[in-house]
Amino acid sequence: MTALLELDSVQAGYGPTSVLHGVSLSVPAGGVVALLGANGAGKTTTLRAITGGVRWNGDIRFEGRSLRRMSTEEIVRRGIAHVPEGRGICTELTVDENLKLGSHLRRDGAEVRKDYDRVFEYFPVLKERRRLSASTLSGGEQQMLALARALLMKPRLMLLDEPSLGLAPIVVRSIFQIIRSINEASGVAVLLVEQNARIALDLSSTAYVLEVGRVAVHGDSAELQGNESVRRSYLGY
Amino acid sequence: MLQRIRTAPPRYWLVAIVVIFFMGFPTVISSFQTSLWTQALVLAIAIMGLNILVGYSGQLSLGHGAFMALGAYTSAILAHRYKLDYLITIPIAALLTGLVGFLFGIPALRLSALYLALATFALAVVTPSLIKRPDALTGGVQGILVIQPDPPQFAQDTFATVTGTVMSSDQWIYYVALFCALLLFWVAWNLVRHRPGRAMRAIRDGEVAAAASGVNIAGYKTMAFGISAFYAGTAGSLFGLATGFVSPDTFPVSLSIQLLVGAVVGGLASIPGPLLGAIFAYFLPIESNQWVPSQAWIPAQIASTVKNAGPAVSYGVVLIAIMMFAPNGIVGLVNSGYAALNRRLRGAGDRETGQMPPDPQTV
Amino acid sequence: MQEFLQQVVSGLAVGGIFASLALALVLIYNAMGLVNFAQGEMAMLATFVAYALVNRGMSYWIAFPVALVLAFGGGIVIQRIVIRPVERAPILTLVIITLGLATLLNGLAGFVFGYVPRSFPSPFSAQSADVLGVFVSYRDLGVIAMSGLVLLAVYLLLQRTTVGLTMRAAAHHPEASRLLGVQVSWMLGLGWGLASAVGAVSGIMVAPILLLEPNMMQSIIIYAFAAAVLGGIESPLGAVVGGLAVGVTINLAGAYLPFVGGDLQLAVGLAIIIAVLIIRPNGLFGRAAVRRV
Repeated sequence: MTALLELDSVQAGYGPTSVLHGVSLSVPAGGVVALLGANGAGKTTTLRAITGGVRWNGDIRFEGRSLRRMSTEEIVRRGIAHVPEGRGICTELTVDENLKLGSHLRRDGAEVRKDYDRVFEYFPVLKERRRLSASTLSGGEQQMLALARALLMKPRLMLLDEPSLGLAPIVVRSIFQIIRSINEASGVAVLLVEQNARIALDLSSTAYVLEVGRVAVHGDSAELQGNESVRRSYLGY
Repeated sequence: MLQRIRTAPPRYWLVAIVVIFFMGFPTVISSFQTSLWTQALVLAIAIMGLNILVGYSGQLSLGHGAFMALGAYTSAILAHRYKLDYLITIPIAALLTGLVGFLFGIPALRLSALYLALATFALAVVTPSLIKRPDALTGGVQGILVIQPDPPQFAQDTFATVTGTVMSSDQWIYYVALFCALLLFWVAWNLVRHRPGRAMRAIRDGEVAAAASGVNIAGYKTMAFGISAFYAGTAGSLFGLATGFVSPDTFPVSLSIQLLVGAVVGGLASIPGPLLGAIFAYFLPIESNQWVPSQAWIPAQIASTVKNAGPAVSYGVVLIAIMMFAPNGIVGLVNSGYAALNRRLRGAGDRETGQMPPDPQTV
Repeated sequence: MQEFLQQVVSGLAVGGIFASLALALVLIYNAMGLVNFAQGEMAMLATFVAYALVNRGMSYWIAFPVALVLAFGGGIVIQRIVIRPVERAPILTLVIITLGLATLLNGLAGFVFGYVPRSFPSPFSAQSADVLGVFVSYRDLGVIAMSGLVLLAVYLLLQRTTVGLTMRAAAHHPEASRLLGVQVSWMLGLGWGLASAVGAVSGIMVAPILLLEPNMMQSIIIYAFAAAVLGGIESPLGAVVGGLAVGVTINLAGAYLPFVGGDLQLAVGLAIIIAVLIIRPNGLFGRAAVRRV
């Protein structure tokens, strides 16, 4: 499989503090990759580097083209949907308007309508609340809205930053179920940042474990899950 | 809001030179020039007041012309109607304006920085029409004439002994203004390097942190307003004395803008800043108005337009340019130039003693 | 009663003018948490442009939209050149810059057009019509209609179009919007352009009443401040309601309160600003203010 996204010894940080000290990873087209690690390991910063939210050195390539010196808007328009930490819901707007923001750059009207149907199939609750302000949604519903909006961007890669954060276990399970179906149905690749290693390893085929800004371990998700010492020292279960 | 500037220790010899310069100045220039410099000094006092409020306590007032108007009219009315000696009315006007400023500062506490700017700007715009209304008291559109006092005997004698010439009333007023300016700059300098100054700067740099370290925020913010208005009131009172006349049109909104220009150009949160800023803001339009019509190649019609529009254009450009490129004003430029020079001379080793480079995105 | 109603109607007419300028203020406040002190002067300059066009023989109804388009472009240019470099600066820096801009534009207008007040044409006849027993001048009705049209257009643009949607998203959630491919900085530029055009309407509407000169908007901006503050500075609807309320209030105060008369109407505007800020700082339609630090 050819790599859709490649990070090549990426260094990044905020002002004088450096957070990533040379992270390399790759996401194959259509694949699901988990990015694990403790708080402060640099998972979120890695995602932010990909969409141009922090300055970085090294190289990041998407579909073979370097993302160097591209603005966030340009990167996103190339086909990367980034659901940030805290979900990035526009609480001033309605549910419908949030969804429209996802599809506002697309010109394929008929396809867009189909995608809306699909999205409402995954998340029927959003259809019921279309006209309500997004601020009235619960945490789980906001996460669904963020996923739905990302899907409407028709990306080839989705960056998901802790979709399980702050949600009840049962909601987490259903959301991960949907992420799996989305991946299987539309072939969109997923780079998933998670604290909840167990569920992330279940979903992903490959995983990287970050430790203070470096890749400590990486490999096949099932293998990592089976490896007792990796589980003990890095994944905490 | 403001970069914390590590100013070099005051250079007393420099202060002494400046003081001697200003003392001797009127003996060598014309009476007309003297009265211009009187007004520049008066402006410096008002700008120092604004600087205490904006630069040190972080509250933006766009309406300090209104406080000047209050001081000027207090003095003019007391001198004109109640026949008080004008010099005695100066502290009265200052205290009254200070009190009003203090009271104004109480509701101002509730306003965000933006709303305070908006309300004070509205005040500045409305001031002339507010003055016109009680015309029995303020003389309406006509305003009030201020009789400029003759120098008292002791001043005449001293002046005659030192210079061998007779002291004019303009010169006497100049020295009155200079005395007030020196006194008030000295007070401001003492204020900002002691407890109140530290407290105000702490509030400016973050109210939550300041409150957490036990600073009485409401107290210091209203105090800053009171002191600031006290300065503006003094300046207004002196302004009436210097020009011999107060009227509603002496205090248009452009006066408040002129004060802001002076404060910003000189350098907020500095002591020499207001003096430099006042000289700049006062003489810029005067000099350009003299220079432009004197140029033969500029057609008379254009020259007269430049004369009218020039101050506004140049003030506008200066405000924008300073805020964009040199937010610490002239003093900031001098300090950072000095620090850069120092670093050059001593090598890059002692960053600590140099001034922090001004951040282009701070006031 | 008759006279009272007439006062109310002409209050609504000037209120519509205040509402346009207040709406312009609200648009920029929503885009970047800033009160644009130069809004009035921008409108004044656009009015001079319209004047110059009409003076060169262009018909009023062509000059009007042309001036608005130029004002729109001018707003974008100002945002690109003056505002964008200091976008993230503290609010006081931005306020001082817009004040500098106001001063600069005022001087430029004086430089180019001089300070002699000029009469500006009104497309509406000065005659009155009998509307349900109240005599209303066509001029007032025209101003009300024009203001209403502009406000409706802005509403439709913001609420019903994709551009409007992305503008709102960029204003409230710049980071999230960027991740959705919205070009946030250009949206701010569009916001300035839109505000500039909306403000220009107020200038062009008020010029026949006040006579055109560089300081024409100085009092109007105070009323617009009052309107925006009264309505709640982040609420477009509030700006409209506030504008109408301020217009009617100052008209009635001028007519029926002897100590106010014509020359203290501006003080009424100041009084409204201060009263609202102290009693109800969020205005009629505003939510609890978020302080931008």
